[in-house]
This record gives sequence, C-alpha cells and structure tokens, in this order.
Amino acid sequence: MSAPLLEVNNLKVSFKMFAGEVQAVRGVSFTLDKGEVLAIVGESGCGKSVTAQTIMRLTPTPPSFIKDGSIIFDGKTDVTKLSEKQMMKIRGQEMGMIFQDPMTSLNPTMTVGAQIAEGIRKHEKLSKSAAMRRAVELLTLVGISNPGERINQYPHEMSGGMRQRVMIAIALACHPKLLIADEPTTALDVTIQAQIMDVMRDIQEKTGTAIILITHDLGVVAEMAQRVIVMYAGKVVEQGDLNDIFYKSQHPYTWGLLSSVPRLDSDKKAALASIPGTPPDLFAPPKGCAFAARCPYAMKICQEQDPEHLPVSGPTHTAACWLMHPDAPKVERPVAAGGGVTHV
Amino acid sequence: MLKYTLRRFFYMLVTLWVIITLTFFLMKLLPGNPFGESAAKLTPENLQILREQYGLDKPVWQQYLKYMGNVLQGDLGISYQYPTRSVVSVIQHSFKASLELGLESLIFAIVIGLALGTYAALRHNKAGDYTAMLIAIVGISVPSFVIGPLLSYFVGVKWGILPPGLWTGPEHRVLPALALSFGTIAILARMMRASMLDVANQDYIKTAKSKGLTSGAIINSHMLRNAILPVITILGPIAVNVVTGTLVVEIIFAVPGLGSQFVSSIVSNDYTMITGLTLFYAAILIIVLFITDIAYGLVDPRIRLGKGR
Amino acid sequence: MESIAKEQFQPAIQQAHKDAILRPSLSYWQDAWRRLKKNKLAMIALVVLIIIAALAIIVPLVSGYDYKTQDTKSINLRPSAAHYFGTDDFGRDLWTRIWWGARISLTIGIVAAVMDLVIGVLYGGISAYFGGRVDSIMQRFIEVIYSVPYLLLAILLLMVLGPGMKSIIFAYAITGWVSMARLVRGQLLVLKEQEFVLAARALGAKPFRIILKHLIPNALGVIVVQITFVVPAAIFAEAFLSFIGLGIRPPLASLGNLLSDGAKVMQFHPHRLIFPTVVFSLILLSFNLLGDGLRDALDPKMRK
Repeated sequence: MSAPLLEVNNLKVSFKMFAGEVQAVRGVSFTLDKGEVLAIVGESGCGKSVTAQTIMRLTPTPPSFIKDGSIIFDGKTDVTKLSEKQMMKIRGQEMGMIFQDPMTSLNPTMTVGAQIAEGIRKHEKLSKSAAMRRAVELLTLVGISNPGERINQYPHEMSGGMRQRVMIAIALACHPKLLIADEPTTALDVTIQAQIMDVMRDIQEKTGTAIILITHDLGVVAEMAQRVIVMYAGKVVEQGDLNDIFYKSQHPYTWGLLSSVPRLDSDKKAALASIPGTPPDLFAPPKGCAFAARCPYAMKICQEQDPEHLPVSGPTHTAACWLMHPDAPKVERPVAAGGGVTHV
Repeated sequence: MLKYTLRRFFYMLVTLWVIITLTFFLMKLLPGNPFGESAAKLTPENLQILREQYGLDKPVWQQYLKYMGNVLQGDLGISYQYPTRSVVSVIQHSFKASLELGLESLIFAIVIGLALGTYAALRHNKAGDYTAMLIAIVGISVPSFVIGPLLSYFVGVKWGILPPGLWTGPEHRVLPALALSFGTIAILARMMRASMLDVANQDYIKTAKSKGLTSGAIINSHMLRNAILPVITILGPIAVNVVTGTLVVEIIFAVPGLGSQFVSSIVSNDYTMITGLTLFYAAILIIVLFITDIAYGLVDPRIRLGKGR
Repeated sequence: MESIAKEQFQPAIQQAHKDAILRPSLSYWQDAWRRLKKNKLAMIALVVLIIIAALAIIVPLVSGYDYKTQDTKSINLRPSAAHYFGTDDFGRDLWTRIWWGARISLTIGIVAAVMDLVIGVLYGGISAYFGGRVDSIMQRFIEVIYSVPYLLLAILLLMVLGPGMKSIIFAYAITGWVSMARLVRGQLLVLKEQEFVLAARALGAKPFRIILKHLIPNALGVIVVQITFVVPAAIFAEAFLSFIGLGIRPPLASLGNLLSDGAKVMQFHPHRLIFPTVVFSLILLSFNLLGDGLRDALDPKMRK
C-alpha cells in the first residue's frame, strides 16, 4: 500500500482569548488514503471545522495557533511547518475547500467566472481566455446549465444551490488531490442538499479526488463516506469504516448520535432520542473523558482519566471508551443505534 | 437602476424645492426693513413705489411664486453690499477659486485618507495601525480653522516653505487645500479601516485564501473593491464637509472665493447675498449627493443590476 | 496498560450540574465596562473629560476674574502667576474666559445631544415600530431633511433668530436629529425581526413590554455611541458658527470665538490661539476617543 494522502498526528489547535486559551482541537490523529471519502461527524463546536481548516491553514492566526502535532500531506510535506508562501502553492492546487454558506462565501462584486478563473490563473499560468474556458468546463461538470452565460453573472443572480455548485467548481479548479467540504449542505434546502450531494458523489467518481466531508448529518455520511471519524470536545472518540460505525460502534457518544437520527419505521408518538446536556466548555476541558458528564454509562474512572483508543473490530476501527476495558461491566449496544440510517 | 436613478433625481428636486421655500419664508421672518438702512431716507410715496416695484404689496403666495420663478431663471437678486452687482455675477466671479480649492482638497483627502485607512487595516492591532488611527483622530478633533492658522503661520510665515495665503499660483494652493482636507482625511481613513477590517472577516476572503491567492492578490481583487463600496456612500457628506469648510479656510488664507464672499456678506448683513449664496451652495451639495448616490449604484452590481435599494 | 483498581469501574455519581458554566458570567453592561476599562485611550479620554468639566464648572467661580471685566492696564499679557493663560486685547483674564467658553461649549454639546436623543429616538422608534405606510412617509421626509446641509440651514436660522446660545442649540437640534433617527430606526428594524423578539411575541408579551424590555436595551449601545459623537459635533458647529461671526456674541466667551479671535492675532500673541486650541481639541479628541472605545466595547460581535 502506498503512503496515505494525509496523515494527521496528535493535532492540537487552540485559540487565545481574553479569558484564556480555548482548546478547540485536543490531539486528533487520523489518516486519509488517496481517493478516499472520510466523514468527520460531531456536534457543533466539537472541533471538526477547526481541524479541517487547520489542514489548509485557514484558521486566523492569531488568535488560533497550532500547539502540537503534525499534518503530513502526500507523504512528504508537514503542513504545520510550511511558511505562508509555501502554503499558497498548496492551497487551491493540491487542496480545495467548500464552505458552509454559499450565500457569503462568494465575492459579491466579482463575476463567478472571474472567481473560478482566478485560482486557475494563479496556479497554472493560463491566459485569461483559457482560464475562462476552463471555468465553463467546470461549471458544466458541476451541472450548471448555460455555463457560457453564467460565468458572466454575479453571485446574487444565482440561487443558493447554484452558488454552492460554483463553490465546488472553484475548489476543483486545479484538480486538487484533496477536497475539504465543511458542512457543504447545512445551509441549503433539503431538496437542494440531495442535488449537491449528487454532484459531490459524481465528481468523486469522475476525478477520484479524496474528500474530507465535515457534517453533523449522518444521512449525508451514509450516502458518501467510506470511513467515519466521530469527534467530541476536540478529540476523536471513535473511528472506523462506515459499517463499523453504523453497526458495530462501541462509544456511547456514537450511540447517542445514531439514535438521535429520526427513523421512518419508529413509533411516531415516541419522542426523538437526544443526548442530554451540552458539550463541555473547551476553555477548561474536564480531566477525564469529556463525555463522562453526559454519558449514561459513566464510571468513576471516566471522570478521573481520559481513555485511550483501543481496537474494536479490525485494525481500522478504534474507540476511546473505558467500557472496552476488560474490567468494565458489559453494556449492551442499544438496539436503536445503527439502524437509524439505511443506505440509500 | 433607471428606476433608482429617477427616484433619486425626484428627491433631489424635492429637496431643492424645500430649500428654496425655506429660504424664502426665513427671509420673510427676518427682522427689519427689506430695504435696509437706506429706507429711512425715503419718503412714504417712494417707499410705496419701491414696494410695488419689488412686488411686496402683493399677497405672500404671489411673492413666493415670483421668487420661485426668479430663482428658476437664475436670478438670485442684487447685492446690498455692492448695489451694482447681482448675486449671480458675484458667483460667476468667485466660484472658480472655491471650486479649485474644494476639488484639490477632496483629491488630497481621498488619496491620503484611503491609503492611510488601508494601511492601518493591514497592520491591524500593530503599531502602524495605532499610529495611523491616532493621526486620524487628531485630524477629526482639530478643526480646519485651527489647523489653517497654524499651517499658515509655521509653514508659511515662520519657515517660509510655502506662501501663507492668496491664490495666485499652484504653490499657493497647497496649504489651504491641506488645511481643508485634514478632517476629511481622518474621516475617510477611519471609515476605510473599519470597512477593510469588516471585509477581511467575510467568508469570501477565506474562499479566496483557499484558492491559494497571495495576500496581495486578495487585497487587490477582493478586499479593496468591496471595502471602498461603503466608503463611497459617505463621499456625499464628505463633499458637504469640504464645501462648508471652504468658508473658513478661504478667510484664513485670503482665497478670493465664494466662501470669503459669504462670510463678508454675513458680517455686513447682506441678506440677498446670503440667501443667494446659501441656495447656490445647497444646490451644489444636493447635486453632489445625487451624483455620489448614483456612483454607488454603478459600482455595486447588486444595485446596478436591478433590485433597487 | 497499567492496572486499574476494580472499584474504578463502579458507576460514577454524576454531578447535579451537567451544564455547569465554567466562564465567569457577565451582563452586557458589565462586560462592556470591563472592555472599556481595558481600552487605555478611552479611559484617559474619560478622565480628561471629567477634569475639563470640573474645571469648567469651578474655575469661573473661584478665579477672581469674570469673563467681561476689561482692564486696560493689562492688555495681551503673556501667561503669568496672576493670569495663568495671559490676557486678551481688552485685558480680560484668558484662564477665566477659556473655562467659561468650555462651560458654554459643553452646555451646547450636552443640550444638543439631549434634544437629538429625544427627537431622534422618538422619530426613529415610531417609524420603525409602526412600519408600513407611516414608516415610508416618515422616511421620505427624513431623506429630504438629510440632504439639506445643516450648517447652511443653521446660518439661515441664525440670521433670523439672531446670534446666541439658544439659537445655536435650536439650529443644531432642528437638523441634527436625523442621523439619530435613522440609526434608531435601522437598529429597531433589525431587532424587530430577530428570533428573540418573535419568541417574546409568541409567548404573548405585549408590544409595550417588547419595546421596553427587548428593543430599547438592545439598541441602547448604538444610541450611547451616537451621543458621544453628537456632543463634539455640536461643539464643533458652535465654533464654526462663531468663527464666521454668527456664534456666541462677545463679551460672552465661547471656545469658538476665542479660537476665532486667537487666530487673528496669532503672529503677535500666540498664547491667545494656543490655549483655546488645546482645550477645544482635548474636548473633541476625548469625546471621539471615548466614543470609539464605547463602540468597540458595546459591539456584541466583539465579545470574547
């Protein structure tokens, strides 16, 4: 097997605030193979967006800073050590990014064609007209009709779904090896969400680019991802293949996430399951397992000591939970978990 | 955009009408005799003839219509100060110097102000930012009628670098234009800085960064244009500042413009001159406001391509 | 793996407060005050303003001179122990006259700000609250007033009313409230549509309660900031009008006519320009710095 496209090791990112240091990412490790689709799931504020933006070094510094860890891209470059100038060569060329809100992530005073062509001209030294031709091709690729006219339009003349397609075209402009999609469908209508996911899947098949998909929508995960990372309070609590996470998960937080997905076949009168409480304040993270305060199975050790990742079923599926310790009481996986989402 | 322009144009006309009306009725309220001191020497019969001649025996609404008619025809009356000169001829004679002074100081202000504001924003929270903003806030707090005398005295008289007054050559224009633009530089710099900082936090800047653009390219093609947009909206009020500022700066530097005419007519209670010049100033300012409004529409595609505002 | 005691795997006793808040909780105004205190320039400005206001109140009472008594024996004296800021061309004590002037300028600024506040908040509030046709008519009116250059209108008004403090305040108030009204309306329109107001309405809160409890407190920050900019603007207007001969009439002193007189004799008696300039600029500078500090402190987006 060749080297992975991306190797994140013990990444720690903090934000310097007036009141002190907010530890947004507290030691995240994972790998991503070429052409693979990896989903990062978790509640708002669990550090998934910060992790993704740190890979492209897009978090504003200050206040944010990389405290520790490395991000090895393409087997050779450590992204955390690169200068801003070296980073500029990688951004757009090797990695592209799609943001959450297409309404605000396009420049309102520039035609979409110019916004797509800009990156191409920077990285590939093409003439303006050649770059524009490429922009038309890209718009066709992401399923926009009349691309020849659309390139001369401004973002406000387009719908949200169409703008997100433009964002995808911008991210793909230079055939990057890695595409990071930070909640690409959250701000869109449900019907548009499905279209955008179709575009993403289609493009993944055509171009073979690796994708990191950040979302809190497990339906989206089931549709696209091959592997899943579950994050909580700035840490990875469980990771594994799609099936591992959906059917063999071991972490109570993963169970909670899965059982909070509405099901078509469930009793309509039953309340939708939810995880009580809110995530801890990362301004002062708890000593033990961050989820202990909300975990129905919490033990004394959970409040004392942070669990390490242990293999679950096969080498790629690991979870960080004291329940997997041989001395821990045996807990049955709730039935609801895992059945919530079926493959479409 | 056409609808928007027409609407703004309509407002401009309404505003002009309000000002003419206001001026007329304020003048009616003025204390004293409309013919000034000289009226005392006239016999009642002569006074009556004069009143008829000026239409003052007619009802107020007829006088008002006549006044409106005169103003629309460009007749602003005869100066009391110089009975041989009409207000319009005074304007024709003095407007050029004021216009030059105003435009030069506006150009100073825009170039220096925008540069200073951009510089401060790019050095956000660093020493350069603080220095630039301290200069700006001093500029706002020290009015042109204080800066003016100081410049005139130190640069002009004491050090003799530039002429301290008058309006006879290009070197005479630097100090007055600078004194006049000082406050405007400060306002523009502060506005530009705030606007740049606001734009820097927009999502589309992150998008631009994710394309791998250099910070220079991001500033040039994404930040500056979007940051200048809101600044354009205050160019109208800025022009108002500059124009009213000419009143005092012209006196300080002995510039033979409309402003010094205006002030001298205030001192000598030359009512027709005051009203005439006020109308003229107001008309200029309102037209400038209209133009900047339309200019704003032209540079912002969201307004240019329909939707109105 | 190191061995772990068996009893560690007993179910944990969960703390009662699952959602314990770990950061110190501060109210909006406490938080704003905390941030304002951190802003050194704004705090210095506040202190300077307090000192200037105190001097303006006290000095004319205790200086032993008054603003109008002329003394032909001591004309245009340089600063000395008897006359801290020197004297003018009528032999009047400048130290007393400047603080008298500051008193008048500050009064004009504060009264103008209060009038601005009352008219502007009422007008903007009514316009935003009723919305619809009322709002659009009121807005058309504002658009017209807004394009009338206020200093020109003030000049005309002063011609009619005659120079003096009341006329200046009146002239300023008649034109100055427009920005405040626009600001308040804009702010209220945004707030009106926000979820917490909808929530309050859905819970059955009465309109009056919504305005009082939800709209005004949230718009207050913007209003306070605007006031700190209105005061120096009014003070500036007085000085401008005095400079062109329409302001406060001598022998009464205002910073405007002191500046104007000082500028004329600057070459021979620089002290007559320098002292009023310093006081005047300090007042304007302090208000502007304080206003900037307040704006940063009261902006909820800046909360960290």
